[in-house]
Amino acid sequence: MDKNQFLQSFAEQFDDTDPSAITIDTKFKEIDEWSSMIALMIIAMVDENYNKKITGADLRETETIGQLFERLSAK
Amino acid sequence: MTEKTVFSLQGRHILVTGASSGIGLNICRSIVTSGGKVTGVARRVDLLSEMVKELGEDNASFIEADLASDAGIEKVVAGIPEINGLVHAVGISKLSPLKFIKRQSLEEVMNVNYFSMVLLLAQITRHKKLQRNTNSSVVLISSVAQQIGTKSSLLYTGSKGAMSAASRVIANELSSQKIRVNTIEPGMVQTAMASEMEDVLSKEAIEKDKAQYPLGYGTPEDVANAAIFLLSDASKWMTGQSLTLDGGRYKLLD
Repeated sequence: MDKNQFLQSFAEQFDDTDPSAITIDTKFKEIDEWSSMIALMIIAMVDENYNKKITGADLRETETIGQLFERLSAK
Repeated sequence: MTEKTVFSLQGRHILVTGASSGIGLNICRSIVTSGGKVTGVARRVDLLSEMVKELGEDNASFIEADLASDAGIEKVVAGIPEINGLVHAVGISKLSPLKFIKRQSLEEVMNVNYFSMVLLLAQITRHKKLQRNTNSSVVLISSVAQQIGTKSSLLYTGSKGAMSAASRVIANELSSQKIRVNTIEPGMVQTAMASEMEDVLSKEAIEKDKAQYPLGYGTPEDVANAAIFLLSDASKWMTGQSLTLDGGRYKLLD
């Protein structure tokens, strides 16, 4: 898994948030546009791009995009 | 069952798809409890064998078949005697936002949830396996999802919408033979399929959803009880209808 590619794909799920405002250290649940729908998009993106399943717990127990990346990499 | 009531299924042989778990399995149990015989269809032989063992060989039998294939449907139709009813409970669910939907996942869900129902009923009626003029009954397990627009549920919702729409056409076509066709449209029912959803969504999201059901989430038994009503003579004046079971979720608003 490539960290920058993951970050880019993560940022692409947002429609109204400037991608440049989203970094690997961004606390993703604090992004104004974050919603249950975006969460479902992230789950679908990870499934499609990496063939990995993330769960509600993965999203709940991580704060930054980098932390989520590390957790996924370990799967 | 000693006394025959209008809800009794004594003398009735019912085919149940998706019989190995969840709603389908509970419907098999309720059919036998109501005095009927059941033939369960699913892919998992081990679970089907357990079902027959639990309900007794005199009351229950199974056919191992994958209804997503023509061969599976042919096997079922060839393997059943003339029956008095069908409950189509086989189904899969997959959450996917619109922009992630691909032909493969769309075809997979439609195949299992919708095509199997149409093609199985087509073959059952072609081979005259549903007894005519004796109040035979077809019960399709649809979903309340098809009445609303839950985000990310398009694959499942579309398949259930197709099922509910088709049920009225089939009801009309079979009405001259006094074969009734109705759907049950449940809200969230506690099954293994629902637990998979819980794994994807957060516990908080589930709790929030649950709080919106005045009577709480349903159980497979709740759906089975409605299926018994629709299979029995108690509903003999009812066809082409959808019965919503959702604990008050969508009609009782604060």
